[in-house]
Amino acid sequence: MATMAPAVEYKGKVIDFPFENPEEEKIPDDELHEHLAKPSTERTKRLKARCRWKHASAGEFVEHGVRAGIERMRLVTEAHKASRGKPEVTRRALILERCLNKGTICLQTDEKIIGYHAEDPNYFPLYPELSYMNVKDYLMSDYSPQPEAEAEAINDYWKPYSLQAKCEQYFDPIDLTRMYQVSTMEAPTFAHGYNSIIPPYETVLEDGLLKRIKMAEEHIKEAKAELAKEPWDGSKQLSWIPKIDNWQAMVIADKAVIAWARRYARLCKIVAENFESDPDRKKELMEMAEISNRVPAEPCKGLKDAFQAKWYTFLVCHGIERYASGFAHKEDKVLYPYYKASVIDKTFQPMTHADVVEYVEMERLKISEHGAGKSRGYREIFPGSNDLFILTLGGTNRDGSDGCNDMTDAILEGARNIRTTEPSIVFRYSKKNRPQTLRKVFNCVRDGLGYPSIKNDDVGIEQMKYYSKFSMNNNGATDEEAHDWCNVLCMSPGLCGRRKSQKTRSEGGSAIFPAKILEITLNNGYDWAYSDMQLGPETGNAEDFKTYDDLLEAFRKQYSYVMSLVVRAKDVGRHIETQYLQIPFVSSIDDGCMELGEEATHLSEQPNGWHNPITTIVAANSLVAMKKLIYDEKKYTMKQLMDALKANWEGHEEMRKDFKNAPKWGNDDDYADTIIQSFYEDILGGEMAKVTNYSGGPVLPVGQAVALYMEVGSRTGPTPDGRYGGEAADDGGISPYFGTDTKGPTAVLKSVSKVQKNQKANLLNQRLAVPMMRSVHGFDIWHAYMDTWHDLNVDHVQFNCVSTDEMRAAQREPEKHRDLIVRIAGFSARFVDIPTYGQNTIIARNEQNFGPQDFEFMNLELGQ
Amino acid sequence: MATCGECTFFFRVPENADDFEPDKGDCVTEKRDEKGTYWLSRPVFVSTDSCTQFQKK
Ligand code: SF4
Repeated sequence: MATMAPAVEYKGKVIDFPFENPEEEKIPDDELHEHLAKPSTERTKRLKARCRWKHASAGEFVEHGVRAGIERMRLVTEAHKASRGKPEVTRRALILERCLNKGTICLQTDEKIIGYHAEDPNYFPLYPELSYMNVKDYLMSDYSPQPEAEAEAINDYWKPYSLQAKCEQYFDPIDLTRMYQVSTMEAPTFAHGYNSIIPPYETVLEDGLLKRIKMAEEHIKEAKAELAKEPWDGSKQLSWIPKIDNWQAMVIADKAVIAWARRYARLCKIVAENFESDPDRKKELMEMAEISNRVPAEPCKGLKDAFQAKWYTFLVCHGIERYASGFAHKEDKVLYPYYKASVIDKTFQPMTHADVVEYVEMERLKISEHGAGKSRGYREIFPGSNDLFILTLGGTNRDGSDGCNDMTDAILEGARNIRTTEPSIVFRYSKKNRPQTLRKVFNCVRDGLGYPSIKNDDVGIEQMKYYSKFSMNNNGATDEEAHDWCNVLCMSPGLCGRRKSQKTRSEGGSAIFPAKILEITLNNGYDWAYSDMQLGPETGNAEDFKTYDDLLEAFRKQYSYVMSLVVRAKDVGRHIETQYLQIPFVSSIDDGCMELGEEATHLSEQPNGWHNPITTIVAANSLVAMKKLIYDEKKYTMKQLMDALKANWEGHEEMRKDFKNAPKWGNDDDYADTIIQSFYEDILGGEMAKVTNYSGGPVLPVGQAVALYMEVGSRTGPTPDGRYGGEAADDGGISPYFGTDTKGPTAVLKSVSKVQKNQKANLLNQRLAVPMMRSVHGFDIWHAYMDTWHDLNVDHVQFNCVSTDEMRAAQREPEKHRDLIVRIAGFSARFVDIPTYGQNTIIARNEQNFGPQDFEFMNLELGQ
Repeated sequence: MATCGECTFFFRVPENADDFEPDKGDCVTEKRDEKGTYWLSRPVFVSTDSCTQFQKK
């Protein structure tokens, strides 16, 4: 029998919490999630059963047979050698052309959306032009591309040309060594090649690539005429040359993409005519052939076109032209015009809403089997995940009206039915969102998917307007365009649409670790607990800090050193990208690049700088404990604390208890919250905002955690918040530390809402009690909570809705709990694919039960 | 030695195709593993040396 939430007395009434679906009473608590997946058709059931998952756990791929392919490495190298002497941007276009022309393409049974980026559906490509260390990492693993000797030779060839080698020369070896420790800061992008992008899908779907080619050709014609004008003025006319090169590269890239899609069309036809015996499948294959012949060359006319053209664009932008993580787009907005054509108006590719839901499920499975050649380090920090595939829904339209539509609903329904961890979904919460869609958001949350992760629509819009002010060509987001935003990866909003979106990770991403920085601040910049080396400037030992302000000032210096170094590393990478890692296909589909003859890595119209502080709350709670017990109450000396920390609290148990019991974040405690608010706003945000990045805007903090809270926690020694060395750090950007938020869910919101200044985003993890959420009052409680959260101007919240019983049962018998999903940080994972260390951090999160004081604060009316 | 042009799995690229080259074909082969069936296509030429999967037309 399932546990029912206990009755609550509220406003003089006794409120009971019977299950909304009475059938659930019979499902034991420890197997609920195994009853929730409901693929909508036999096809998606089969596709899920045979999905070639590419996620990793503890750095190892979970599925047998997954490994790196050699084909892309080989083709990229051949093209690079064959294009010597040509402009670099042309070489990049020719490299793409060769990959698309000569690469193996693949079609699988049952699929209706086709396309893959490696020579076999079990493989993923590598990118030797980015990081030689990353390829080397694969060469030393069981996932090495074959033949290994050839792969080794390719990697050696690329070493001097790689992004990594080209960047490293601009850094002091000491700084490089410090960056590579991943102790106070994440390693620079050039060392691992990790990347992100928001592709302007809209231009592909609305214009088609033939039109883009025509536009580029017209620009070339005009540019050549300008170049030939008399009298010659070299100070102006020479500027047409790089533009001509860029437009020509765009033409090469777009023609190659069209030809590649048509190779898929031929493959479908050949299979239909020569291999397939089922007449229904033959018909489907012929229709797929017709679609790929037409798109992405021509504008999409129906929803099948749109799914397919979007998928081809995704593959090129994220996996073939260059690697980029993510699945950033506002999918309901991108697809709705085609939904309308096919489902409502039935003018092209007529289909029902249920057919659309099936397509959504199929797309989710395509994403689940999309492989990414991430470094081992990156596989480790996303346990149970593939590659941070995250799409965005909801919010508001440019005119401020509700952004939800029937496509939003179909995406949420499909996600709930098929129950895959990826792609994750971000929902932009606005008071204008229609109730029917909010109900579907809630259904996913309550089913424990961990998504949609909820972002405050108004906060995102204002942020786009703020960054727009720093646009270097005075063409940032207009007030209307500010409504067109989606999350770039887990947490940070960025503009999306036909132009001005983020094209490379140098804009934002990568992490800094405040807990570790605090640790070295107490030790004169030395990391005694992990790397055993000097990681920052010498700012004195803890015992030297006579006042709390002295301590804070030393932290500020350590933090500033790291901040400038990490953003310099990103910007040097960006500079090299503009010279050697151009992305002409992406340029061709961006209206700004097309109009200006600019390259996508080079043009930045809308700044969007951010960096991710991870482990902030461990540092912040530690500051609170030190201020209280050492500087205010003087119960202990700093020397006593340092002795205890060096001993990992051993022999100092009473003292540890005092530090552990000091006020903690997330309880609406004024003492703790005042110190922590100032830490977020003045130090983390204030110091970061002093840094200006490539795009001319400030860099602001996006507090989040991925699974670095485990990894970096394990590298961080004992901390003054009472934590033992090696224990996990806090699991979100602004989430209370596990189990220390004891005053209920609205107390957490009150604390979190105090941090407003100098922030870009902050991740808040909350764990909701299952029985209350699955009760007849579940939706009303959640909705009232969300409205309260919105009114407090909190940026983000996401939920785990899974019982401890079920997680414990999955630890005992993992094979029986394949569908148990949990939210880690910016991504969800199958619980059984997470290492035990990580599983325990989810179990340790406080399960929030709403009580009368919460209902009162949320102004909730509850009927019987 | 037999060449791709003589193989069942060789499908000539039509003249109106964007990637047309004289004597170019798609080598389309069927694969099967524990997850299911899939088809791979890669460009070859009539005169390309045959591979181990060669099957006479
Ligand atoms: S490569 Fe092998 S299978 Fe393909 S056409 Fe040539 S001989 Fe046939």
